[in-house]
Amino acid sequence: MPRNTPRRRIEEQLYATYMEFFERAERERRWSVFDDIPWDEANPEASDDLALCAETFASVEMFLPDYTAGGLNVVRDYFGRAWFQANWGYEESKHSLALGEWLVRSGKRSKDDWFDLQENLLQARQWKPPFTTARQMTAYGMVQEQATFLIYVKHRERARNENDACLSKIYDYVARDERAHSKFYQDVMKVLLAEDREGTLTDIAHVLANFKMPGVDLVPDYDDRILKMRDAGIDRNVFIRKIYLPVLKYLGVSRHEMLAAQRKAIEAQQKATEDATHAAE
Amino acid sequence: MSDKDLLQMFKVVAERVDKKSFADITRDSVITDLGVDSLSMMQIVGEMETELDLQIPDEDLVEIVTVGDLCSKIESRLGA
Repeated sequence: MPRNTPRRRIEEQLYATYMEFFERAERERRWSVFDDIPWDEANPEASDDLALCAETFASVEMFLPDYTAGGLNVVRDYFGRAWFQANWGYEESKHSLALGEWLVRSGKRSKDDWFDLQENLLQARQWKPPFTTARQMTAYGMVQEQATFLIYVKHRERARNENDACLSKIYDYVARDERAHSKFYQDVMKVLLAEDREGTLTDIAHVLANFKMPGVDLVPDYDDRILKMRDAGIDRNVFIRKIYLPVLKYLGVSRHEMLAAQRKAIEAQQKATEDATHAAE
Repeated sequence: MSDKDLLQMFKVVAERVDKKSFADITRDSVITDLGVDSLSMMQIVGEMETELDLQIPDEDLVEIVTVGDLCSKIESRLGA
């Protein structure tokens, strides 16, 4: 088997990237649902809106089987990324567990409510990967995890303001995990950019143009919930200031280089639509 | 370049980027109220920068709320 190939070069770099990520995760970022959450500091008097937000996040996190299966299938023959996906699944599994436990232990939901929610959600809907290639899914993960990190940070403060040290701590751990995931994806994108800058930029542009958060299609009354989640969303300023510009800066991509890629992605999408229309005629 | 020219340029570029009409915009129009999302906004700014051969600093972008804010940022670069 030839060793000096672009794919091998990328794989070796991504393996190193994953090992660096995993070492930090093992040494600095591990937390336990059983030992590290101050469960007796959950506030039963916290508002219903706080509970609704936690339930919404738990609902989105609950599609873990789909995220893990879909994500792993896309990257299964890329060692560093496949192993990341497996570790990602472990870390994300703790997020829905911790949020679900908080809902029950705080008295905001009964155990039956929690099991009803699981059954209703997973039997009614299924998450499908929004993009088809490993590189596009990496770009998606890079943006989605950064957005999720920012949302959890906002809710950590909200829980703190409602004197719920337990939920605040859960959001703290979850936000830290999401930040680390986004950073890994950004590091992967850097490697991919170095190997194929034009193709990688085109994929980032395609993902940005078609991006939406996973909860939109998964949680039945998501729009109504979002209204009650007030600050949970990412407004334009936050998107530009805390996602778009910092990510581009980290990747070493200028706004105008990204703009050129966006133009190409839009033209390609228009052409594909036109071709499909012609083919149907 | 007059204020009216910049407003017209915004309109033309926004219509090209978002593929819809922006007939009634004024300097006071709030960009999000026009249905322009973050990414389109970045495209509109980038297209106007390219056409006018100038660059608005990244840190100024987050201060843009209305069409007039964007025009002012451009005017200050044109005058610099």
